[in-house]
Amino acid sequence: MNWIQILLIGSIVALLFYLMRSRSSAKSRAWVKVGFLLFVIAAIWAILRPEDTTTLARLLGVTRGADLITYVLTIVFIFTTMSTYIRFRDLEVKYARLARAVALQNAQVPADDA
Amino acid sequence: MPAFNEASVIADVIGNLRATFPNVVVVDDGSHDDTPALARRAGAHVVTHPVNLGQGAAIQTGVEYARKRAGAQVFATFDADGQHQVRDVVAMIERLGHGDVDIVVGTRFAAGPPVGVPILKRIVLKTVAALSPTSRKLKLTDAHNGLRVFNRTVAGDLDITINGMGHASEFIALILENGWRVAEQPVEILYTDYSMSKGQPLLNGVNIVFDGFLRKRLPR
Repeated sequence: MNWIQILLIGSIVALLFYLMRSRSSAKSRAWVKVGFLLFVIAAIWAILRPEDTTTLARLLGVTRGADLITYVLTIVFIFTTMSTYIRFRDLEVKYARLARAVALQNAQVPADDA
Repeated sequence: MPAFNEASVIADVIGNLRATFPNVVVVDDGSHDDTPALARRAGAHVVTHPVNLGQGAAIQTGVEYARKRAGAQVFATFDADGQHQVRDVVAMIERLGHGDVDIVVGTRFAAGPPVGVPILKRIVLKTVAALSPTSRKLKLTDAHNGLRVFNRTVAGDLDITINGMGHASEFIALILENGWRVAEQPVEILYTDYSMSKGQPLLNGVNIVFDGFLRKRLPR
């Protein structure tokens, strides 16, 4: 197995674990920001010195830097999709509770039972 | 009783129920038709979601409403489309009255090959039940039966967070997590053209399985 394969599979598994466990606490949100910062720095670096990505790719057992970028983007995309999905589910639960509170306040009791 | 756009049948269904059970709570899940007005005229308590949320959310709302009513001891979930039988509810309440279980769920499959369940539907329901580890653990044969009867213990702690159709699996998972004692009771489901047209498309099984896998990992 290649270094890149180990890294890619490892990071996907790590992300899944992170997403499953995270309860959007302040701590995990901070880590997301740190991760994003690193991603931006890496992106700027890759723009300024594209040949470095190839060097890094060679080190990891990938031939071209462009391939490495594709892999990284794939993982970032999976992460974004998953966290968006979880965010939406979270919101859905809150939205249901809000609607339920409104519904219960306006409940109509039959006339013979009031 | 969760109800979404059931104006054509709701009055009859409530009428049949009220002949035996005086307290019927209809949760109108944001219907666009006359469902809430008809339900009210038929003598039901009506709780109206301001927006459509889904059947799971409606059941939770109904139970939260009912458990706040003084003297409520026995609770039942019942489909608004007329596919359930009042006499099955009576039998299930009698079963609950033995006092050895907290919840009785209806099943279409307990007594040998089911009568009147379309073949494709049968295969899908069986598959969903087999895929669900909680159903297997509890030895339940029909995870997606909308007919349930339960006591205050269950009603008081019920917390359904899956708004849509995956709520039936969540209900089963809650039974396991809370250690509620459960029994099954064979019930008859009337597959009329109307209830078939209102029923969930079979592809929904994918949603149900997916939601079920993620449920435990989500904040509550």
